[in-house]
Amino acid sequence: MKRRRRGEAPEPGCLRAWAAESEALAGRWRAARGWGPGGAAARQQRGAFGELLLRMRGLPAALTTLPLELTVLYNSLLFAMGASDCAINGESEEICQGLLRVLEALGASGQDLSTEELWQKVLQEVTVEELQAPLHRLGALQGAWWLATNRLGSITGLFRLLSSAEDPGRAPCSGGKNELLSLLKAWKVPAEGASVSLVQSAEDLKEILCTAAAFLQGLQELEAGNLPAALSLLEEAAGGFCSKRVLAQIYTCLSCCTQQMGKPQTALQHLKRALQVDFQCLPALSHAAAVYHELGEMDAELEALAVLYEALERNPPAAASTTPYCLIQIEHLVHTPALASLFRHRHPSEVKYLLAQRCLQDGRVADAVEHYLDFLALLQDGLQQQVPLDGGSALPRIPEVFLEAASALEQAGRHQDAITVCEEVVSRTADLIPQVLRVEERSEQPECPSPGTELAGGPLSQKRESLCCLVWRTAAYLHQGWAWAMLGKNKEAITQFSRCLGDLLRIQLYQSGVEPTGSLIPEVNLLQKIRLLSLVGRGTQFLELGKHREALLDFQHGLQISPGDPAAASYLVQALWKLNRKQEAAARWQKLSESPAEEDGQQEGLGRRVARPYPLYLVSCLKQATFPHNESLARNIQDYLRTATT
Amino acid sequence: MAHVGHRVDYLAGFCCPVGGLVSGKPRVLCHENEIYLSNGSEFVYVYDQEGKVLKAVYKCPDQVWHVELLPVPRQLYILCAHSGIYCVSLDQQSRLMEQTDGDGQESNCPSGVFPVDSDACIFPDSTLCTFTLLNNFVITLSQAQGKWWMKLHELPHPEQESPPYRQISEVGFCPGPEPGDEGDSPPSRFLPVLCCASSPGTVGSGEGLWCSGGFVLEEPLFSLLFGIDAAMLESPMILCGFPDGQLCSVPLKALSSSQAADGCHDVSSQDPPVKILHHLEEPIVFIGALRTERRAAEEEEAEDEQLFGDAGCDCVVAVGHYGKMVAVKADQREEATVPELREYYLRGPILCAACGSGSRMYYSTHSDISAVDLDWVNESSDPEDVESSTGVLPPVLSPASLSICSVVALSLSSRASEGESELLALSAKGRLMTCGLCSPEEAPPARLTPAEAGRRIKELLSGIGNASERVSFLKKAVDQKNRALASLNQVMNVSAALLSSQEGQKPIACTVTANWSCLLLQDAVTISCVLENCSEYSLEEGWTLCVQLLASPCALEEESVDSGTTFTFPIDQLLPGNKRELTLPLGSAADTKLDLPLTISCALYYSLRDILGSGSDSSEALDDFFPDDSPILSPDREGICLPLSERTIDMLQCLRFESSPPGPAASPPAAALPAPTDPVETFLKVSKEQAEPDGAKDGEQPHAPGDGNLPPSTASIRVSSELLKNALKSSSSGVPLSCATLRWLLAENAGAEALRSGEVASVRGAAPDGGEVQLLVREARKGLAPRRNALGPRAVGAVLGCRTEPPGQLRCRDGSRASGWVAGPPSTNPGLPKCCSCCPPAPGWAASPDVLVSLPARAVVASSGGPARHTGLGQ
Repeated sequence: MKRRRRGEAPEPGCLRAWAAESEALAGRWRAARGWGPGGAAARQQRGAFGELLLRMRGLPAALTTLPLELTVLYNSLLFAMGASDCAINGESEEICQGLLRVLEALGASGQDLSTEELWQKVLQEVTVEELQAPLHRLGALQGAWWLATNRLGSITGLFRLLSSAEDPGRAPCSGGKNELLSLLKAWKVPAEGASVSLVQSAEDLKEILCTAAAFLQGLQELEAGNLPAALSLLEEAAGGFCSKRVLAQIYTCLSCCTQQMGKPQTALQHLKRALQVDFQCLPALSHAAAVYHELGEMDAELEALAVLYEALERNPPAAASTTPYCLIQIEHLVHTPALASLFRHRHPSEVKYLLAQRCLQDGRVADAVEHYLDFLALLQDGLQQQVPLDGGSALPRIPEVFLEAASALEQAGRHQDAITVCEEVVSRTADLIPQVLRVEERSEQPECPSPGTELAGGPLSQKRESLCCLVWRTAAYLHQGWAWAMLGKNKEAITQFSRCLGDLLRIQLYQSGVEPTGSLIPEVNLLQKIRLLSLVGRGTQFLELGKHREALLDFQHGLQISPGDPAAASYLVQALWKLNRKQEAAARWQKLSESPAEEDGQQEGLGRRVARPYPLYLVSCLKQATFPHNESLARNIQDYLRTATT
Repeated sequence: MAHVGHRVDYLAGFCCPVGGLVSGKPRVLCHENEIYLSNGSEFVYVYDQEGKVLKAVYKCPDQVWHVELLPVPRQLYILCAHSGIYCVSLDQQSRLMEQTDGDGQESNCPSGVFPVDSDACIFPDSTLCTFTLLNNFVITLSQAQGKWWMKLHELPHPEQESPPYRQISEVGFCPGPEPGDEGDSPPSRFLPVLCCASSPGTVGSGEGLWCSGGFVLEEPLFSLLFGIDAAMLESPMILCGFPDGQLCSVPLKALSSSQAADGCHDVSSQDPPVKILHHLEEPIVFIGALRTERRAAEEEEAEDEQLFGDAGCDCVVAVGHYGKMVAVKADQREEATVPELREYYLRGPILCAACGSGSRMYYSTHSDISAVDLDWVNESSDPEDVESSTGVLPPVLSPASLSICSVVALSLSSRASEGESELLALSAKGRLMTCGLCSPEEAPPARLTPAEAGRRIKELLSGIGNASERVSFLKKAVDQKNRALASLNQVMNVSAALLSSQEGQKPIACTVTANWSCLLLQDAVTISCVLENCSEYSLEEGWTLCVQLLASPCALEEESVDSGTTFTFPIDQLLPGNKRELTLPLGSAADTKLDLPLTISCALYYSLRDILGSGSDSSEALDDFFPDDSPILSPDREGICLPLSERTIDMLQCLRFESSPPGPAASPPAAALPAPTDPVETFLKVSKEQAEPDGAKDGEQPHAPGDGNLPPSTASIRVSSELLKNALKSSSSGVPLSCATLRWLLAENAGAEALRSGEVASVRGAAPDGGEVQLLVREARKGLAPRRNALGPRAVGAVLGCRTEPPGQLRCRDGSRASGWVAGPPSTNPGLPKCCSCCPPAPGWAASPDVLVSLPARAVVASSGGPARHTGLGQ
């Protein structure tokens, strides 16, 4: 206590005036916050507190005024942190300056120390009783700041200091469950003095810190894959003090955790709770759809998506409105990329697409057509309807959406419409594909996730984009061919298939390396498949026109591309049969039927080979290309074989 | 450089700062007949091109960075520095204007200046850098947290009443390594440039797609530049040119980055849909688009001009500040369609640029506006040539000059009709002009006949003659101006040196002293002025030292006319550290009447006419400036006048102490003329009649002067010895008080050396007019009848004036012919009479008079009627 003499006490009149002003400001805030959104009021208050602080700092630091000064600093920082949406920039320096003032009053110097070291020094040096409470409160704010910037080590260290300063006898509680959480819980909140009022009590702050720390660590564990730890932390957070919005977020995170642990039903329970707490928590709905998808409950999934779409359509997500009561909220403190991706805001267009895609995948063709048409209409809607195309979006590339729509239309029997939709893809890609596209058969580097098409960018990505355009264009021709075929217009169908095959000739594959190391470029693989399907398609049309020889050629080509393809093989047999080359046909057929395993596992087998299934828009073409007359052909050949042997 | 035919009309002038307007922020927009102009200040002007009048001026709260116009509800969107975007409805404003016109001049902004108040701020965001409009959408670009943020907002429909401006989407991106992290303000003086490119079938293109500076881009190029997704979405694209030189494109329909709904800005994982098209490596000042394939299209469908106009542009250009320019055009080759990208180097720095509907781009540098044409048909038919110059863009550009210099904002007028377009330009000096442009086809290709050629040559030759004449004239003028500037510089240096040292010692000083000297065998009082140049600048030719003599006005003379005489001495050159002494006679005892005290003002004068080289008659001019009756030196009429010093020469300084007093011959003749209100007479009269002390102020008519044989006049003054002791503390050590007082009285008299040595209490001398004066100081005992007015019955013949300067310091100044002084107590208020008083000015000063200063003034009255007043010696 002998140090007290060092600081020169300013006149008590000044101190009293400051205290009164601080009190008046706090009182005005309490009166104002009952009235509604406090954005402007908070800004005003922040300015007023800042001004007061500036005035107090005009005098040299003195121990008698420091408690008040630190309290004013606390209040002004609360407004500052509450007012800024999430990024808290200059506050750390403010706290440091406050600590330096404390050291100045004590006659010590704290220059060139980091914030952590500064705290350590201040807590060691300060023995004055009156300063303890304001310092602890400031410590809680510092903790909040470190939490917001994900510096868990620093906050743990600080609270270790705070609790040992408070109770030096107690051993620092080690490891156990979670050190930070137990430290936070063990921290004794300084009693609020009667002299100075706080705009947000330290008790509140402690609760918020506890919940935020649990939530944040839970998210980090979730990201790291330590699911049990994440679960317990998130459960802890859910039990804490927080707003409904945050609680819904925590429940959503819990559901993600349990879903990853293989408990989809529990996940659904959590999501249900999230929606009960806050029905505006729309990400919970899209997560629910994902869980239903995993469970295979198509109806429930579609329903969830439909509800989500409706909710998004009805009230577009507004900017986060802060509740006026708490200045610092958990929303301010918890920022991680994991949270951002979990709570990605879905646009209505995305949800619409998901609905359409799921219906098409499930074979609900009529619904799929409706949704696809809705989606295409939505594209025409103007700028209000955003169509996210970035990496996190649910949407594929736009031409693929068009092709999927065409596929749905075709399956629904609306062939003419399908042709029109495909025509759009054909015309849009016209200028984007060079006459000759020389592509290395195997990519040297791993495929880049986003085919960036920088104009001045590498020729590789440019080539990749051209390749994609070629895929879409040929796929569009393929669809058109099949659609014409369905309409019974064989000549038009043949024209389209021929165009498809013609465009496919633009690609020139070459092998550069001595040995093929990389994997086959997926687009190249896809183009091979399209060529096969196109050849098969044209062959069938030739067959129908009775041009068996041309048909035979196409099927043979098809088999060259994909030697084991059952559809092409079956058609080849049929063509041979129709050309009256029955012996050859029978031999082929026997060979074909000797490998029935491959026929059965065709889809899976192909999938394994290219490590990915074919895109959704090709599925209908695959179906159409399957050989329909398997039974009758088999019977005929078996009859023939029987007669031949006999 | 070929010249393009043009016609320039000046429309109006707008205020501009001292250094001229700086490019970047000024902006000129044109819609129908109105021109909307901002010149980088806080004003936005609306100018009516048809009526050639300024229609309205809007005063914004801060510097205007960008202006856009939305013609459909007639709204002006104004971005103010560090505050946000303000929306001003022009229709409302014109209604308001009519109202105020009807009401009369009620408003406090008389000339149609409308303040834009904070209510009009629709996007309060201090980080906003620029914005653009696309129909009813506002696209803003701001810089915060080390990133660029592009936001898309929807404007409310006009029928809806004040709904909030809904933010639809936003994207944050950081193009390049560092987006300028130093502070939140843009790091350089360059702002980013935004521009909207639409695909031909863009949504809502049916009715009135509006986007100023925006363009529709033709198909192959649109897909090639922005990708198939944007093309299929038919999304408008925003092109951004950044100060670091990056040219980016953002699809407006896919403006989203992976971010959470709760507004957390941690976008780290995924790339937003922002594509970098090119890097110009210098600040981009302009992005535009051109229609280059005009001729080819015209050949095919010559009559269908309208359809052609709708087709949009086929070439995108971006221009950097230092002259780098990039053009992109689709090259439909046989094997593939590729975007051809070509960089050009223009002569920078480029201040602004504009594109019209044709193939020409106009750009402005400090010295000129130039036009470049990107229309280039690769007409070479032989295959070898094709090899050498492949591509669809010209390999080099040949700029054509328009001969309009330092234009900081350009825009192509939409008013222009029938092929002729009009360029609107705002020059750095704030002048708005239009420049009519004729298309290159109109340039006369006519072949000349020999006769015509001869005439042309003659014209050219005479033109050359004219030009050389003009050049020599201009050269002379320039030389003259240079000289004038040098002189002005010198004058300014001297003025600054003098004016900046108002309080202390002036670097150029003029000290004035009075002396007796023998001139033409006559003793006379002369004044010597010593001009000393202690400054670091030399006084050059052109400076004149003016010395003005001015008899002090006397309070006793009601109708007294201030008589002054000015002497001027031209100074050829006075180098630093040098002195020059000038002497001027005040008049001998015999021939002139000296009106003491004299105020002598010295000043330096520099005629600005001399600077302009037309000041040969400056001396006469100077006399015009300073007529004899001018009370003070005329300070600022056609010249610069720097007062140096003002000095009062009084009787005490002119007294001559000699062993042999002047003989009776020198004594002046008896006064014949009634002097106009001699204060002495007045005083004597007043004293004799024992009138009340304030009688002097009544201005009674003096009696006729005495006949010359009056007894010597005496005047005595009592002063508190305490006061004197106190005041003379420093100089009176070891000397009796009376002697010290006398020494102090005569301190400024050059001839009073005798006093320095001996202890004298009385001294005898001659006044300039020959009168004899005796000064006597003695200490009086207590009880010597302190009367209220302090002048005993014997005290006659002295008129006294007094002035107190800062308390504690005594200074004396006599009233007129008689010598004497009156001191007030230190606390006397400063409002003492300037000149004459017969009574103690304040009750305190004679409270304990211990010292009596008696001034026998024997000869005073005799000289009272001198000859006519002393006038201009200098003539």
